[in-house]
Amino acid sequence: MKLRNLVLAASAALLSLGLSAALQVGAPAPDFTVVDSKGNSHNLKDFAGKNVVLEWTNHDCPFVVKHYSGNMQALQAEMTAQDVVWLSVISSAPGKQGHVSGAKADELTASRNAVPTAVVFDESGVVGKAYDAKTTPHMYVIDKAGVLQYMGGIDSIPSAKVDDITKATPYFANAAKAVLAGNTPDPAVTKPYGCSVKY
Amino acid sequence: MPKLILLLLCCLLPASVLVGQAQAASSGWQSASHLQAELVSEYQQVVPGQRLQLALHFVPDPHWHTYWQNPGDSGLPTTLSWQLPQGVSVGDIRWPTPQAIALPPLMNYGFEGQTILLSELSIAPDYSADSIDIQLQADWLVCEEICIPAEAQFSLILPVASQAIAAADYQPLFAEAVARLPQPLSVQGQFDVSGGAFSAAITLPEAKSISGFFVAASELVDHAAVQQISLNGNQLLLQQALNTYFSSAPTQLELVLLADDGAYSVQLQQAVQASTEILVTQGQQSDTALWLVLLMAAAGGLILNLMPCVFPVLSLKALSIAANSQQQHKRDAVFYSLGVVLSFVTLALVLITLRSAGAAVGWGFQLQNPYLVALLVYLLFALGLSLSGVVQFGLGLMNSGSNLAAAKGSKGSFFTGVLAVVVASPCTAPFMGTALGYAVGQSAAVALLVFVALGLGMALPFLLLGLVPGFARLLPRPGAWMDTLKQWLAYPLYLSAVWLLWVYGRQSGVDAQAMLLIGVVCIGAACWLWGRKQLAQAGIVSMVIALLLLVLALAMPALAPAPQPAVKSPTQTNTNQHWQPWSADTLQQLRAQGKPVLVNMTADWCITCLVNERVALNTQSSKAAMALYDVTYLKGDWTLRDGAITEYLRLYQRDGVPLYVLYWPGQPPEVLPQILTPDTLSSTLERLSQQP
Repeated sequence: MKLRNLVLAASAALLSLGLSAALQVGAPAPDFTVVDSKGNSHNLKDFAGKNVVLEWTNHDCPFVVKHYSGNMQALQAEMTAQDVVWLSVISSAPGKQGHVSGAKADELTASRNAVPTAVVFDESGVVGKAYDAKTTPHMYVIDKAGVLQYMGGIDSIPSAKVDDITKATPYFANAAKAVLAGNTPDPAVTKPYGCSVKY
Repeated sequence: MPKLILLLLCCLLPASVLVGQAQAASSGWQSASHLQAELVSEYQQVVPGQRLQLALHFVPDPHWHTYWQNPGDSGLPTTLSWQLPQGVSVGDIRWPTPQAIALPPLMNYGFEGQTILLSELSIAPDYSADSIDIQLQADWLVCEEICIPAEAQFSLILPVASQAIAAADYQPLFAEAVARLPQPLSVQGQFDVSGGAFSAAITLPEAKSISGFFVAASELVDHAAVQQISLNGNQLLLQQALNTYFSSAPTQLELVLLADDGAYSVQLQQAVQASTEILVTQGQQSDTALWLVLLMAAAGGLILNLMPCVFPVLSLKALSIAANSQQQHKRDAVFYSLGVVLSFVTLALVLITLRSAGAAVGWGFQLQNPYLVALLVYLLFALGLSLSGVVQFGLGLMNSGSNLAAAKGSKGSFFTGVLAVVVASPCTAPFMGTALGYAVGQSAAVALLVFVALGLGMALPFLLLGLVPGFARLLPRPGAWMDTLKQWLAYPLYLSAVWLLWVYGRQSGVDAQAMLLIGVVCIGAACWLWGRKQLAQAGIVSMVIALLLLVLALAMPALAPAPQPAVKSPTQTNTNQHWQPWSADTLQQLRAQGKPVLVNMTADWCITCLVNERVALNTQSSKAAMALYDVTYLKGDWTLRDGAITEYLRLYQRDGVPLYVLYWPGQPPEVLPQILTPDTLSSTLERLSQQP
């Protein structure tokens, strides 16, 4: 009897480890506090009442380079013009590809004509793991109420070729526009593609 | 000397020819960053109507990898785009078995080192041109920690003639490529994505030890999550949490299984609604560390010593050991332990053999056969009589106090061990059936190890007594009180016999039970006669009569009338009974009607089951809860062997009773714990009913 209880307890513990809290669209987005390239601290709660876009990035990743050929900058300009908070998140650990200093991040933003609200750092990977961010780029849309509305890929063609951008269905752009219009995006979850996040 | 030159020519000539031929079958190497690639044809000259293999051959730098068809959490599969003349076509990539490339917390599936991607080229029988111009554009992503996308064009012109010529130099490459393909396995398999997990049930043609699997569909499983793999006979159950980005599942998918003897590819169909779902339940998981299972088995074995059917026999043995000499202690202890362990191993082997022979048995099988139950009744009763002093058994069991000199040595100790396991076996099933059933569900080697640990645990007190002198000194001094204790200890044995008599009665009916009781009387008489013989009060005639009585007793259960099937038929269901008999069809019908259902799998010899029913299921509050939520209560009885119930238990990865499953419409089935508390059912129902 004891034996069975032990087996039960041990395996139930294992199971609960395996199925830890899953991220879900339609549920409140995980809270976070991050510091940006200028040293300012941001908390998700600070943006209550505004739509928020999270973009996981790594400037050396070919898939990020593909979209920074103009597509990403255009999206940033379009969104921020409509009062969307756009955070470019760098989860690369120190020493890993894409890890940059605040100054370097600002320089990259300037040289690429990027216009995010802020570039924020997540060296420890805590935010990336909370959002289950797997690739760069990896896109999230959070609505004014703090509810996660979209997560996944930037578009439908997983490739590193710039030519494919115009051929692809712009999943993220469609979703962000739907959220701005007060609608629920469809699809709300798509397959992210790109380089692995360098945790 | 001329001979030598001739020999050299013979060797060199074909080699030089081959080099010339080889060039025609390859596009030549192309260098990309961190990777060399070439396109190779299996044949350097082809014929119309031929099918042949083309290989895209990658040699990445050390630690750099390309990706499988499902790249995992990041990365891209290699894609090929062919330009071929009219009348020539090419199939999809035949993917080799991938490797798991972990980048915690992410997981990728791909290929490190030399990688050969085969595609099959088909030439139409009426192809008329004299050559085939093959143009390939390949796109790949090569990564170490950082990733570099690349593309390259390959071109290959194959002459078409009346005879096909294989590219001899490249045959080892193609042989290697084929060896790396997962072998297709023609099996029936289903998968399901309910309950937040990908689950698959596959009936293998033979039991294989599976160490991992790869799902070819992308964004279906959480690639880095723990893989649950459980093998019950040849029924393989797999489970892995669903991917965060999962949106919909294909109706069919490919799965690659890693076995100890190679990799296999299987096609799975999505389980149709209302068919049996696949559930890898929390009770029985394969990834509990082996040492922990063994430790718990040993603890279980130790506890067995306290069971009412074992304790009386063993406590006396312990006292007799205490009275013996130091030298004898050690020998006794070792041989006794050997007897225990070997008996458990034998039991395990019998069970494994029965199962591999296809018999639907689980642990507890020894109590599912009425004849075996009858034999155990006789055994316990006879041992009881022996403790009461009616007869002395010569197994070195009862050498307490008075007949110390009658120590029977190593053989006696060994058979005491065997006897201990035999008398313990009715006690293992009701208390430890599930745990041991789990063990048997593992590979044969693991199952045997678990039983060995169980035996060692059971023998542990004697090993300590025999090998550590300090323990023996803790025992009380032998004396006349031991005889009194011995007689007292007969009564737990009689009660154990009564319990088994009740089980037998439930299995075979009251008529058969009466026959068995006659058999018990015969055993009683035989023991009495034998005891008189031992005291030299009876002659050879008594011995013959005793043997005849024994034979009669053994024949009794065999002569017993067959149990009346009506005993358990639904027609006898009385009105205040709040359950219906389980059948797979009834369950499926009720679920199709969208009704909540509680399934209880039980057996009369399973004491845990009976306790659960008494304290948690047959109570007023549980009955009220079932009435409130309109739950249909189905009860399956595994007291006797029942293949359908064994199948159902296996579906939930159980090999023994109890099993409680609650089906709530629109939810994955919920398996209740094996130890129920009075409010388990009502609180679970309340929680399920409040879910959206």
